[in-house]
Amino acid sequence: MAYFAESSPRTTTAPQADTALALEGVWRVVVLNDPVNLMSYVVMVFKKVFGFDETKARRHMLEVHELGRSVVWSGLREKAEAYAYTLQQWHLTAVLEPDETH
Amino acid sequence: MKRIEVKLSLAIVAPLLDVIREVSSGLGERLAAPLSIDDLDPEFRDAWTADLVASQSTDVRMLLGLFDENFFAEGVIGLDETNAEQVLRACAAVRLRLREKYLKGLGDDTLESSEIELEELEEPVRKAFLCYLFLATLQELIIQHLDATILEG
Repeated sequence: MAYFAESSPRTTTAPQADTALALEGVWRVVVLNDPVNLMSYVVMVFKKVFGFDETKARRHMLEVHELGRSVVWSGLREKAEAYAYTLQQWHLTAVLEPDETH
Repeated sequence: MKRIEVKLSLAIVAPLLDVIREVSSGLGERLAAPLSIDDLDPEFRDAWTADLVASQSTDVRMLLGLFDENFFAEGVIGLDETNAEQVLRACAAVRLRLREKYLKGLGDDTLESSEIELEELEEPVRKAFLCYLFLATLQELIIQHLDATILEG
């Protein structure tokens, strides 16, 4: 056995299990700035998709505009993906990031 | 049902429609804003992309449908709860594609502020930029007048 192995056996998880583990936890939906979509359009989309009121929608829009990104939602991966899909339908660029504060 | 009718200048808008149609058909099977999520399962990504492209195509058809015989006869387009949301999204898609195809050279800051001397632009950029402004105006009108309709829908 030693002849064929250079080190002790390691316990590994199957790739599928790795993926499942990687997708657990809390995820952030982050909207990125683009130079095309109107500020009023982004505000309306935030109100429509997330149910934000005007003030909250404007705050997030300004964050996107001034800082280049805004975390608009965080929670389970499946729901984060659903939000990202809907934002994509409205042609806003969204990414998902693990929320490492949880 | 709230409905707005917008009277447009045929002399100004009609020449822009060829560019809007050309850019719309150029969208074809591609998304106006490419997917930015890297870790999606490939099958899931393909399914998403197909659904999003189909939705984008439906929206764009709705936008182009505004400019029908009635528009060319009277210069009027009608917007209400049956088309506002789709037209709004289609305008965003076509504007993104206009930037990609014709307007990148203007620079993002200039594009965002839209402070450009039209006389200084050469064709086809000038006409593409006019389309870009026209579609933004359409979006502003919809948001100004039909925001509540869209949010309730």
